[in-house]
Amino acid sequence: MPKNWKSFSIFGGTIALLALLPLFTNRSDVLTWSCLTLQYILLSQSWNIIGGYAGQVNLGHAAFFGLGALTTRYLWLAGLPFPVSLLSGAFIATVFALLIGIPAFRLRGIYFVIGTLVLAEILKVVIDTRFPVASALSTETLLTYSLIPRYYLSLMGAVLSVIAVYFISRSRLGLGMMATREDEDAAKTSGVSILQNKLIAFAISTFLAGLAGGIFAFYMVAIQPGYVFSPIWTFDSVVIVFVGGIGTLIGPIIGSVFFVLLKQWLSLHLPGGSHLAVFGVLFILVVLYMPDGFIEAIRRFGKMMTLGRKPAVQGR
Amino acid sequence: MMLEMESLSKSFGGLMAINHLDLDVYEGEILGLIGPNGSGKTTLFNLISGLFKPDSGKIKLNGIDITHLSSHKICQMGIARTFQLTKPFAQMTTLENVMVGKAFGRTPTWSMREAKEEAEKILEFIGLSEKGMWRASALGVVDRKKLETARALATKPKLLLLDEMMAGLTPTEVEEAMVLVKKIRDSGITLIVVEHVMEAILGISDRVVAINAGEKIAEGAPQDVVREKKVIEAYLGEEA
Amino acid sequence: MVQFLAQTFVNGINVGALYGLAAVGLSLIFGVMRILNVAHGEFLMVGGYIGFWLFKLYGVDPFMGLPLVGIFLFLIGIVFYKVVFSRVAKFHEEVKLKNSLLIAFGLYLIFPQIAMVLWTADERAISPKYSGQAFDLLGVRFGYVPLWNVCVAVVIVLAMYLFLNKTYFGKSLRGTAESWKAAKLSGINIEWTFMITFGLGISLAGIAGVLIALTQELTPVMGMPWTLKALIVVVLAGMGSIVGAFVAGLILGIVEAVSAIFMGPYTIAIGLLIFLIILVLRPRGLFGRA
Repeated sequence: MPKNWKSFSIFGGTIALLALLPLFTNRSDVLTWSCLTLQYILLSQSWNIIGGYAGQVNLGHAAFFGLGALTTRYLWLAGLPFPVSLLSGAFIATVFALLIGIPAFRLRGIYFVIGTLVLAEILKVVIDTRFPVASALSTETLLTYSLIPRYYLSLMGAVLSVIAVYFISRSRLGLGMMATREDEDAAKTSGVSILQNKLIAFAISTFLAGLAGGIFAFYMVAIQPGYVFSPIWTFDSVVIVFVGGIGTLIGPIIGSVFFVLLKQWLSLHLPGGSHLAVFGVLFILVVLYMPDGFIEAIRRFGKMMTLGRKPAVQGR
Repeated sequence: MMLEMESLSKSFGGLMAINHLDLDVYEGEILGLIGPNGSGKTTLFNLISGLFKPDSGKIKLNGIDITHLSSHKICQMGIARTFQLTKPFAQMTTLENVMVGKAFGRTPTWSMREAKEEAEKILEFIGLSEKGMWRASALGVVDRKKLETARALATKPKLLLLDEMMAGLTPTEVEEAMVLVKKIRDSGITLIVVEHVMEAILGISDRVVAINAGEKIAEGAPQDVVREKKVIEAYLGEEA
Repeated sequence: MVQFLAQTFVNGINVGALYGLAAVGLSLIFGVMRILNVAHGEFLMVGGYIGFWLFKLYGVDPFMGLPLVGIFLFLIGIVFYKVVFSRVAKFHEEVKLKNSLLIAFGLYLIFPQIAMVLWTADERAISPKYSGQAFDLLGVRFGYVPLWNVCVAVVIVLAMYLFLNKTYFGKSLRGTAESWKAAKLSGINIEWTFMITFGLGISLAGIAGVLIALTQELTPVMGMPWTLKALIVVVLAGMGSIVGAFVAGLILGIVEAVSAIFMGPYTIAIGLLIFLIILVLRPRGLFGRA
């Protein structure tokens, strides 16, 4: 128990600090980067639920991000109160998830992978065709645009996702999800309903992804509709989770911070979109050699160095 | 009669793994199941626990037809099993492994605390208490088998299927395992035990059934069955 | 009206043959190695661009250049297998599938970037002198290039069929597909088998890429749409059937051509629809084994 209180107070303290951030700084770049990092935390935690805890590789995550984003955007711009638009977006994302999940989860794992990939690509193409024009905010909305409420919304989203993952990891649902991930046959014969667990995990995951999309749609001044379905959103989530530590609570948090910082640094020093290639290579290395996450690997490497057996190391 | 299997058949491709098998298991007994490798013992366990569906025939638990039920429902009705090659939830702790059994088994619970308490009791019963917080992947072979059994016990089964639990154990460990199996039966659980270790089969079984090529070739008292000509031939045939 | 339908049918076959060829390589790799290469389309794209280079820079006729592209992509496939996939190829099935998917996904992000650097984002195509030529038969137009494509595809698929069923190595591939453990016990060198299979699958992708570049544009981002087409075809056909994959490709092509009549640019959604229908009604596909 005492151990938990320490973690809780660190967590609570961090949130308090983050909540007070806008009071300490007016710099829009700091707020922007914080906003994006928080949104990435929400999005990557959502993938962490299905990919990390439940162990189902969803390569079409962008579909749900995009569905949430577009639904929220259009409902909001059409006059619906924003909270309603946001929840509708998340809801629509979940509906599509079940559309794929219910038939796919009854079968072998690859059908889920193919199904989510296909859904994401098709949505991207259809949306690009049907809505090729970027959606921009009206002048009056632009005048009242402020980063602050968007910052708090992003913060709330990130906190929600962390709380969700926290409760899942400590709940019966989490036990079932992890058992499903580890060994389906052993889980089945221990009474776990594989189908139910996968569906619930997927529903929660896509709901949060849709929420992330909705928040993003609220945050962006102009959006190219097809852009929110771009596979880059899936990739970013997956890279962040893997780099930070898959299936852990804190992994996506560390991963998001690291990712945003690295991305900013890379885009300053490398041309065009080639930072993608760098991330791609880093990602493959992590998958092949660092299953517990890049951060964990660095930590262990550091430990190994400090426990150095060779006197030469100590001499430094 | 607790478990009835009527004319059970299962084939893979052209190979008949189980061939119109009739088998009954009586409440409270320890039934030993023997047969050479490939005779269909594990397939039978897979059929009973619902991982495979038979091509024809019926399986009834206390009169209820469970032939086409899904595996998790069969577990919830009271049948649990271990696997020949252990299948621990590797990245979860020993305790969590057993908690899964309690939380989702025949007497499920949504309370993590209750699951934890029950799991701790079972780990104590089986002798894995000090390794409760270990990751399951860190356990040695013998402990993994214990974990496998503990997890199955946590589902509060009425019928427990043990698949070659004693393979690879030292003679002392086999003795301990035999004591454990009897303790399990004494706690009110019926058992079907698949083993190659003959002393163990003779020592713990009330009744023995021998199968070969998916068919029953002998049934009766342990000492009689292992001496039957057909059974010896089946095993010798394996060596050839 | 009949002519119109016949033309639609012919158009469908033309595209479908390419779908089928694209799927064959994917099906081979998945069938033997249980690796779902979601970067398949990326290699297809590379093949197309290599064919383009051979044509543009050295005047090599694309059809003549097919063997060259085939060999080059075969080697590339082997390199990628050795460097990247061999580590995961021998894991237990579920872990292998997950890890190989993620790795292929990473490649899917990297390849377009490299392609953009090498060939820019501009659309390219291979347009030899005989490109637009066609002949009419009973009011239906048959383009020479699409016709050649179909012929080449059929020949290749037949060759694959003969290879897998009549040659020793081909049969050892099929044996490995059934059970690599059993294959190993029979003395088959698994490492070599996997390596060759992967190279072969990638080679098939590259060849398909050249044929595609003759009738459509080459872009750095064409990879994933083609991967998905191949995936849908493989699901439609059922796992493990090479010839079935080709036939399923033809079917998909025809279905799409017919749907295009009333769905226009949204025809792509037909693929998803077919996929969902197969999942629900007949998961093992049209030709798959249980």
